[in-house]
Order: sequence, then C-alpha cells, then structure tokens
Amino acid sequence: MAAGLVAPGVVRAAGAVGLKYTLEGIEVRGNRTTLSRVVLRYVPFRAGDVLDVNDPELELTRFRLLGTGFFRAVQLSLRRGTQRGYVVLVVDVAERNTIVVDDVWLGVSADVNPNGEAKPLTAFGGARVTETNLAGTGIGLGGAFAVADSQLGLRARIVDPQLGSSNWIAETELLYNNARDFFGNNDVLVNGQAADYAIETYQRFGGRLGFGHDLGISSQLLFNYRLERITANVPLAASDYRGLDVEPIDFMLPNGASILSTLSATIVHDTRDEQFLPSRGHHLVASLDLGLTPLGSDYPYAKVVVRASQWFPLPWGHVLGLDAFVGGIFGDAPLFERFYVGDFSDLLPDRVLDLNFDRRPAPNYLSTDIVEIRYGNYAAKINAEYRIPVYRGHRSIYGVDFFGSFGVYGVANGQDFTDPARGYLGFSTVPIDLTFNAGLRIDTQAGGFVIGIANLVGLAPVHGPEQGAARP
Amino acid sequence: MRGPLLAVLIFALGATTSLVATAQQSALPPTPLAHPGALPPRQANYAWEADLLRASFSYRDVLADPELVKKLSSGLPTVIAMRAYVYREGQDTPVALAARVCRVVYDLWDEVYRVHVSEPERERDQAAVLDGVLRLCTEARDLPVVRRGLLEARQPYFLAVVVDVNPVSPEIVDQMHRWMSRPSGSTGIGPSDALFGSFVQLFVRQIATSDKTLTFRTGDLTP
Repeated sequence: MAAGLVAPGVVRAAGAVGLKYTLEGIEVRGNRTTLSRVVLRYVPFRAGDVLDVNDPELELTRFRLLGTGFFRAVQLSLRRGTQRGYVVLVVDVAERNTIVVDDVWLGVSADVNPNGEAKPLTAFGGARVTETNLAGTGIGLGGAFAVADSQLGLRARIVDPQLGSSNWIAETELLYNNARDFFGNNDVLVNGQAADYAIETYQRFGGRLGFGHDLGISSQLLFNYRLERITANVPLAASDYRGLDVEPIDFMLPNGASILSTLSATIVHDTRDEQFLPSRGHHLVASLDLGLTPLGSDYPYAKVVVRASQWFPLPWGHVLGLDAFVGGIFGDAPLFERFYVGDFSDLLPDRVLDLNFDRRPAPNYLSTDIVEIRYGNYAAKINAEYRIPVYRGHRSIYGVDFFGSFGVYGVANGQDFTDPARGYLGFSTVPIDLTFNAGLRIDTQAGGFVIGIANLVGLAPVHGPEQGAARP
Repeated sequence: MRGPLLAVLIFALGATTSLVATAQQSALPPTPLAHPGALPPRQANYAWEADLLRASFSYRDVLADPELVKKLSSGLPTVIAMRAYVYREGQDTPVALAARVCRVVYDLWDEVYRVHVSEPERERDQAAVLDGVLRLCTEARDLPVVRRGLLEARQPYFLAVVVDVNPVSPEIVDQMHRWMSRPSGSTGIGPSDALFGSFVQLFVRQIATSDKTLTFRTGDLTP
C-alpha cells in the first residue's frame, strides 16, 4: 500500500488492539556524544513506512539499542506528525559510560631464569579494556596487555560493528609480543652447556584485518588476514631427551627475521541461552587458517580446528556440559600457532595473548609420553562439566554454580605416531592425559569469575620434577 | 625475594580466579512466588457464584510512577498483566491461577485510549480517557478465580498477586539471550577473543523483565 494512502484506524486482532500510521520521520533525543546516525542504524523503520504500533520490531528496536551497550535507557514513543494519520517515531536515549574492562588475567607460573635454570613461582597478569563507542561513532577501540617476567604482549583494536552501515563487521588489530618460551624438562644441552631448560626469545609485530557477517541469528562467518614480522633468537644448538634418546630441539621458529602471512575463515554457530552459565544450546566453532607462502609467508601450513559444546538442562536446575575439540596442523606453523598442552590442561596456566608463562610439562596422570610433548601439531580433547546451582540473584550477583569437570586430552606430533619416544611401551605411547577442575562459577554484575582448585593442584608434581619422563 | 613475594600476594588475590566478561539475563518466565505468604497484605473482596469464587481488588498503585502514566500516552502499546495465584495458607505451591491482561494504546489523532482487556470468561475492547484506563486496567472486579472443588473445605486460602507493566515476552527474552551470547552487529572477529561479546551482556542483563512489578497477598478465605 502506498504510504500516503494509509489512514489511521483501529486494528483488531486476537488479544490486541492497535493502530496503524504513516511514519513521517524519526527523531533521536538525549544523545550527547553518540551520533544520531549511529542510533538510526538500529531502527528498522524509515519515513514513509506504514507503522503498526503492535509491530514487534518496535520492542526489538529498544532492546537492540540497549544491546549496543551505549545506553543505560532507551524509550520509544510516537508524536503527531504534520497531518492526520502521520506520526514521528521518537527515540529517547540516555547514554552511559562505555569504557569497559573485558578481561583480567592474574596468576602464577613456574618460570625459568635467563640462564635456563628453573625458578620458583612468578606472577603474570594482564587486562583488556575497550572504549565501545569511540567519540559517539559506534566504533570500538580496544587495548590489551599481558606481562610476566621478561615478557610483554600488547594489542590495539578498532572495530566497526556495522561497516558503512552494512551488515558487515570490520576489525583491525595491531599486535606486539616480546615473548620467550621454554624447552626441555630439567635436563638439556644448550650450546654445549648443561641447563635445566633451553630458552627461545622472539618478538612479533604485525596486524590483522578481519571482516564478519551474520548468517542468521545464530551463525556468523568471519574472515581474517594477518601479517606479522617475527624476529627470533634461537640457541645455535640445543638438545633434549626424548624418552631414552637425545634429540635436537625444534624451536619452531627460524633464527632471525621471518614473515607470517595467513588467511583464515571461521564459522560460529551459537544457540546458548547464556554465555557464562549456559543451561541449554550449543556452541560450534570451526576455523581454517592457511599460511600464504605465495604472498611472502615463511610458514607454509594449514590449521584446522573444530570445537563443539553442548549443554543439557537436568532436574533441579543442574546442567551437564559436554565439550569436544579436535585440531590439526599440516605443514610448518610457527611456535605460537601450535597446540600447547597448557591450553588443554586445567592444571597449567593457559597462554595469554599468545604468551606462555610456564615451563612445566603436562601433569601426566596416566604416565604416558605426553610428558615429552610441549607443543604439537595435533590435539583433541573431550571434557564434561557438571554444574549445580548454589545461588540465584538479580542484583550484584546473578548466579553461583558449583562445578566439577573432567576431561581427557591428547597433544601429539606426527613423529609420536610413526616413531614413539623410546622408553615407553603399550598404552604409555599414547600421548594423552587427564584434566579436571572443581570450584565455583560466579556470575556477577562485574563479570564472571571462575574459582577453581586446578591451579593449586597443578603445582604439586605427580611423578617428581620430571613428571615421569622416561630417562636413561 | 620480591618475585616470590609478589607471586604469593597475587596468588592470594586470585591466582585461581579468572575474570571474563559474561552474560546472563535475569529475565525468567513467570513462576509462582517463593514465599507468597510473606507478601504485603492487601484488601480484597470475595464472592461465591455457585461453586465459582470471584475476587475483587485494586492494584492502581502499579501506575503510581508518573513516568508510567506518561508512557500510557506514548502512542505505543502498554501492557498491564496481572496474575493471581491461589495458595493454601502455609504452603508454597499454588492450586490455581487467574490472569488478567490489559493492553492500552493511545490514539494520537483521536486523543483517546484504546483498551483491550483479557480475563477468564471474557474479552473486551473499549475506548477510554485516562481515568477509564486506570479503572479498566488496574482493578479486578469479580475476577473468576477458582472452582470450589479445587479447594479443601475449612482450610484458609489466599491470593498472591503479581502485576507487571510491560512484561518482556519470552520471545524477546530468548532474542536477548542470543544477543548477550553474541550481540548482533557487535561481535569481535575471533571466536575465542571477542572484543564486544562480553561487556554488552553486562548492560543488557540490567534490563528489567518489566517496567514495574507489584506483588501483594490478599486476606484469607475459608471455603
């Protein structure tokens, strides 16, 4: 129906009474820093549209605007237009602080001094902060840092959630890492000298450009291009035991400068009812990274990762979560792209901004040759988590759940399949280990906290300082 | 020495704690009240029509906030939903529920409120001025509540009443959950490293499940 022909009238439907008008315009009020055009991005009506006051899009518009995080209050209303049957949609907003702390990392790790000698516990930490509505444009500016002894990681990102008012998300990121990593297990030779660990230091500097697009309400497709310069300082010669044999250490980075150039595609399907304490739904992420050697990359490789999680509601509000991960790297990926055991074990600190803070091998509860592997080209994990609600609230604390989790993971390289480390027989040649955790998940107004016992338990060696590694 | 000392300090502060921005919506579907007997009391009149219990009571104070009254004339629908649960005194499980929903839209050009009322046994549309809206939408008159057969003789019963102004529909709650998990148009380019995927949820979850909620209980009735 042509806009001008719509006459106002009472619309009767089951359970509702409403009206239809012709929309004369949209007025944005209360925005001091946010540009009106940013607000209008989220309003799916235009002048000339027929506006049914019962259209659910009106209610959704309010929540869409609240969902941006730019406003603490949003109200929609109508006022008369210049002629009968015409109205103006008024969007009243009240802005809020948009600087947000996204993540805080604190922890302790088992470190190594510059001479390769094992050190007691040292601290690491970091944070991620974001201005989500830069100068009222709706563009996000974020920064993150992570620090530990002799390590620093920095990130700066700009995100346009609606590139050129389109449905595309665009993001660019700069990164800098001054990193180091540790190789061996208390008994290595570095340039002919005995040491506890061999240390590799490297710097990364580069950037990433990404685009994303929604594929319906639950799915999203993302593309990233990454370009980095890596400068590594690798020991000239270093060797370590692998089972009963001594083998040269693969530092997974070439000495000196190199270029990393990759293209990646990721698809996300997410039907979780909540992010931190989900009770139903699933979360699926599949990604493919390709090293672009034709564009100058020194790292020819492909990396495939699939992760699937499902949550099941149980009686009494209990929740069972199942999680599966599988990944493979084919080719010559840089160190920080490989699968690290600490990322799969709850008993070791995860990497933060790709920085690795801990020298310890896998806990090795199953006495396998997982203890010989720090980084691998193949990884898999299955994990189950059971949650019991302890508290539900609506003010500062939204929920507290007790959780217990248990999983099995494996990290390996091709060599571990074709030529297992000598000194291991039968089941012990399968590089798998157990992981577990228990504690509280606390969902609060300030964020979600996980308080678990795994970090503490992980500090106690299971099989002594070498964690059950086979040695001559 | 400073290294280990700092480590211990930080460990004590939260070595095993990780902070991740998250999301949870506090909106829940309508459920019976946890402690209905402890709600503030309010006057109600009961009448038996054959074996049907009818109740009359007012909840006009649900619109005590002038902003809500102003919102009635916004030109967009306002919903006032009332649920009256029948409880036996001393118990926390309701035996019956009566609901009454009033939907109001102000006609900007005719300057009159269009009102639709739904309650057990009847639905009606009316045009009204503001006083009429308050009467139609915030007063239950001879509301059919429960049949005598569902009540135990010589036991005291009462009504626990919940009134919501503009309750958020379950569909919207569902959509909000999705946005909180991965806010539309504001997700970082990285499945494990979302820039926005978290903080928005902190804000969205502060959205109330309705503009105003009023709860009270009535006096006892013994069949």
